[in-house]
Amino acid sequence: MAILIDQNTKVVIQGITGANAALHTKFMLEYGTKIVGGVTPGKGGMKVEGVPVYDTVEQCLREHPDATVSSVWVPARFAKEAILEAIDAGIKIIVVITERIPIHDMLYVRAKAKEKGVMVIGGNTPGVISPGKCLVGMLPKIAFQPGRIGTVARSGAVTYYIANSLNLAGLGESTSVGLGGDPILGSNFEDILRLFDEDPDTDAVVMAGEIGGVYEELAAPFIKKMKKPVIAYITGKSAPQGKRLGHAGAIIEGNMGTAQSKIESLRNNGAIIAETLSEIPELVKKAIRSNKKG
Amino acid sequence: MRLYEYEGKMILRRNKIPVPDGVVIDKNSFFELEKVVYPVVIKAQVFLGGRGKAGFVQFAENREEAVKKIKGLIGKEYGPYIIEKVLVEKKLDIEKEFYIACLIDRIEHKPLLMLSRHGGMDIEEIARKSSDSIIKHYFNVCEKLFEYQAKMISAELKLEGELFLLFSNIIYNLYNLFINLDCKLVEINPLVITKDKRVYALDAKVDIDEDAMFRHPELKEMGIVARNEIGELTEREKKAKEAGIPYADVDPDGDIGVFPGGAGFGIAALDLITHYGGRPANFMDSGGAPTQEKLKAMLGLLMDNPKVKVIFGARFGGISRCDDWAKAVVQYVIENKPKKPMVMRMAGNMEEEGRKIFEQAKREYPELFKNIKVYAYDTPIEDVIKEAIRVAKEIE
Repeated sequence: MAILIDQNTKVVIQGITGANAALHTKFMLEYGTKIVGGVTPGKGGMKVEGVPVYDTVEQCLREHPDATVSSVWVPARFAKEAILEAIDAGIKIIVVITERIPIHDMLYVRAKAKEKGVMVIGGNTPGVISPGKCLVGMLPKIAFQPGRIGTVARSGAVTYYIANSLNLAGLGESTSVGLGGDPILGSNFEDILRLFDEDPDTDAVVMAGEIGGVYEELAAPFIKKMKKPVIAYITGKSAPQGKRLGHAGAIIEGNMGTAQSKIESLRNNGAIIAETLSEIPELVKKAIRSNKKG
Repeated sequence: MRLYEYEGKMILRRNKIPVPDGVVIDKNSFFELEKVVYPVVIKAQVFLGGRGKAGFVQFAENREEAVKKIKGLIGKEYGPYIIEKVLVEKKLDIEKEFYIACLIDRIEHKPLLMLSRHGGMDIEEIARKSSDSIIKHYFNVCEKLFEYQAKMISAELKLEGELFLLFSNIIYNLYNLFINLDCKLVEINPLVITKDKRVYALDAKVDIDEDAMFRHPELKEMGIVARNEIGELTEREKKAKEAGIPYADVDPDGDIGVFPGGAGFGIAALDLITHYGGRPANFMDSGGAPTQEKLKAMLGLLMDNPKVKVIFGARFGGISRCDDWAKAVVQYVIENKPKKPMVMRMAGNMEEEGRKIFEQAKREYPELFKNIKVYAYDTPIEDVIKEAIRVAKEIE
């Protein structure tokens, strides 16, 4: 089953005519993702990798009413409009690749999405993959294999390395979700953990967080209530205090947001803490065994 | 982007929030003092708080005293900053100090307005003294604020008549400026009532979202431009910033130069190197899909650091392609002939193309590439890190 996307998902790419979007449309199609249309205002009638391009999401959905997922690749200044357009047209899940979207725009988008029951993932997410079934975003396919472990992470490359280390140990992923690196995100850890906990094809979840923000701490109380084990990998223990580390989100603010505060609140609520990438597979296997016994 | 107090006050004034009359003085503009009415307060323009206690807020009764005190302040160091400008304002007769701020609550994902009848100290202190004295209001960014709503909030401050109206307007204007200017924070502390029953913002802290600067040309017109807060940066960090590379020195004696992909793994790499007994020199972030020039500049920064003995590199090609990365590394090596060994791993999108680029370079320049190892998908990243640590320890 997987979460969010599977082999039946029909996808729209917003901003499909951009160079990166076009290249990754090709990769997604090769992977088997069912991309039914693209949207770039003013470029309606074109084709990208054989995919028909429309001027608006609404036009696209009129031709392809079964599309439920869109992926946003437009420049940051147009992202708010693109996401709101998708919400209005009736899209249910929006995967926002665009990075550095103005904070106020994301506040607006979050409020509207909540009102309409739409799930926004990102911005600055590498995307979502249900291995062997569907890929939405720019995740490299080589990093993922079908399996029964759900993963959710803030950073793109950390998502790849976690899947990579699971695969090398003979495990695979039901779905891998990149939350995104921007300071205000459409979805947080709790939103995704909730889906994995209800997914019959997921046995355990690996979550990877990093210094900055409070999304990890906010997820801790939910982890306590989960039926499935959560293995948490938190990075930034060796990061210099108070320095900006790339992601606008990764700024240490007071005590909240430090690696230590995240690790403590997760551990206190029943998450299993991994110190390194390579120990994740063993911790996952052990947690599944003892969860089944219990 | 944090603004100086005087810039924040320019913005408040434009948005009809009254500020005291004042002038900004630097070492070339003492003539501006003609415009002020004595006695005055002289405030050093720096980002750090606690200016009063540190002696960076002073008073003067006349021009002579003001000039002397300003000369004493300009050029002085405060923390990592050097004072370049002072704000000289008419000294007010204050009757009461309030607190007002609007900020983004990252848990609720909403703008939060905070007010208190006890201003002049920082908000943590206000909260400690009596937590019920802070009035809090959340806003829905999808809806505009009506004037009557600002009045309802203002009423909680228990003011009367003209003062009630003045505060209502300030709340209304402050929230709208927060929204219209893409602010992360607007804080006025204290907001004062003077003995003659007028209201002024005595201080101003404004922080604007860097990622929204593109839609605020009015800031540039006001002379407020994106700045590098380089006061806190090391020499190498300054150099990196000029090249547009997010970079931080981590350990001054670190001997492993970290050349990661994105920020997320950049942070993870520091932990992993430390965990396995190595010493990372730096944090770095290539950003999504970096240019060849940027990648080469990143390598240059590490090679120029005399403490760095080995480069640990990693590319997991997502939006950034392995072939672009390989091309940049190969070009850098051919152009600069670095002596330092490089231990790297490359996997992901366009990996095969990237591998061919390295293989060809190795055939053409075997001597240059003899200390450069590029592992593939089947070698776990941590084995590559351990190898980099081993190589660093071999070099003495």
